[in-house]
Amino acid sequence: MGSVYAPVRVSDQSFAFRSVRDEAEIAFEALRTILPPKKFFYPAKETILECDGDEVKEHIEVVEPFAVFGVHPCDLAGLNALDKIFLSTPQDSHYQRRRRAAFIIGLSCLPDKHCFCKAMKADAPGKGYDLFLTDLEDKYFVQVNNQEAFEFILSCKEFMHLASDQDNQGYKKFWNDRDSMFEHNFDSAQLPNLMDLGWDHPLWQELGERCLSCGNCTPVCPTCYCFDMTDVAMFNSEKVEAERQRVWDSCQFSGFAAVAGGENFRPGPVDRLKFWYRHKLHGFEDPIEIPSCVGCGRCTVSCPSGIDDLPGVIRILAGRPQLNLEGEIA
Amino acid sequence: MQIERRLPRIAVQGLTGCAGELLVILENLGSVLPFVQVASFPFAQSKNDLSDIDIAFVEGSVSQKHDIDSIKEIRARSKWLVAVGNCAVHGCVQSSTCSRYKAKELVEAVYAKDSPIEALDAKPLSSYVNVDVELSGCPIDKNQFLAVLASLLKDHLPYIIDRPVCLECKMRENGCVLIEKNLPCLGPVTAAGCGALCPSFEAACYGCFGPCKDPQLNAMATVLSEKGYNLSDILVRLGTFGIPEQVLSNLDVKR
Repeated sequence: MGSVYAPVRVSDQSFAFRSVRDEAEIAFEALRTILPPKKFFYPAKETILECDGDEVKEHIEVVEPFAVFGVHPCDLAGLNALDKIFLSTPQDSHYQRRRRAAFIIGLSCLPDKHCFCKAMKADAPGKGYDLFLTDLEDKYFVQVNNQEAFEFILSCKEFMHLASDQDNQGYKKFWNDRDSMFEHNFDSAQLPNLMDLGWDHPLWQELGERCLSCGNCTPVCPTCYCFDMTDVAMFNSEKVEAERQRVWDSCQFSGFAAVAGGENFRPGPVDRLKFWYRHKLHGFEDPIEIPSCVGCGRCTVSCPSGIDDLPGVIRILAGRPQLNLEGEIA
Repeated sequence: MQIERRLPRIAVQGLTGCAGELLVILENLGSVLPFVQVASFPFAQSKNDLSDIDIAFVEGSVSQKHDIDSIKEIRARSKWLVAVGNCAVHGCVQSSTCSRYKAKELVEAVYAKDSPIEALDAKPLSSYVNVDVELSGCPIDKNQFLAVLASLLKDHLPYIIDRPVCLECKMRENGCVLIEKNLPCLGPVTAAGCGALCPSFEAACYGCFGPCKDPQLNAMATVLSEKGYNLSDILVRLGTFGIPEQVLSNLDVKR
């Protein structure tokens, strides 16, 4: 039987998707995990090629079926964005193998002061899940997205009943109430234009001077997908072997844009930070094309320097200078 | 007549250091013995031959005149020279912290006047010879050591991570001790390789692998200062494992 992963508490303020065996282990209250569920499909480190003597072959991992429980709408949006990257032609077979093996159970949530998925249009359960549960306090409203999920429901009919009119009303009320709870609500359609206009904004210098270049904002981002390839030799009992590994990289590290000859396209944190914001709020010529931020707030809560306040940055670029999360909303 | 192919010869030598790296290598010698001949390892064996070495691992800083002679001799006799440990790569405590004092004054304070000790300012190996591979740590990580040796046995320069500890810490999904507990964690400016060992046990990183590539020391000192840490304590903490005194004295800490 495959594993079930769900958010568990790992510290006073943090949660992580971990393998669970009992409902009591699950932190149902978890709003955001340290790493998004991308880690299940695009792991931090994975073997791509194996080298045995002169023979080089693709490493094909056997992936057991597994389930991920408690995926919130922003993280579903993040997975949908990564699907566009890794499943566009040519498809990444390593990602695809894991995506196919997964059964994803979404779960509704209520925003805190760092959430702005609504502004980024990533706040509703759209696609990318098998089942989606909306918390109606004494029961869950279950949305079933495909045949596999329907068969799963049939296998546990004793826990289910057909949604009544009252349940439907409860569902609408939950999402309407949730809509009004967001502190940050701005028109994300203008973001690419704001980023273009703000190219020389003094803000980048200020933020860059405070930036630690620790790279925390990128592994925690549901849509950051940059990696490095390294060839690693190792001992087994009889011989020295080698493999090619794919490891998460970050545009915040100085080596990311370094090229031969000792030159670097983005030598300092000011350029590197602006580059990352541009990918998130403006978008590149990649298959996502649009701003790739899903408004989960992970970069904000995991920045030791307290600078990755995306709504605050957006407010400044829009000409509303208060960098205060508690303040007036655009 | 069949000629037996000889195994690559390795040497494991120590200059001025605590022998921490020698211990790590000794503890892991079993898994590499089928692949190498230990030509010289004075810490572990009595019969040593420092000639025709394929790979030399050298720990410790260059702190005395005979260290200079040793490292030049090892360099001349080795195909690959690997500096192992923070002392050999950065100079460690004896270089950074002690650089605030004159070597002569230190010798007099410790060994009394007119002692025959000829102490120099402690320096990493690269101050005197060309070093092919630098593997830091205090002590080094055994998996990194094995990967370096395996790589060099294939005549392939090893990949050694120069990114911050934060990356490995995030990969392990630890709660951030700098953010959640306000501990003076140096993870953002310290080279990874340890697997974020200390933060995984809810302790602050104290920088023992030395600085990561392009460490943002101004921002690090500013963040710690805002958390209420005293600037002189911050500088001592940053300076313990290889960030030179002259770099720290020019920091621009915003408060």
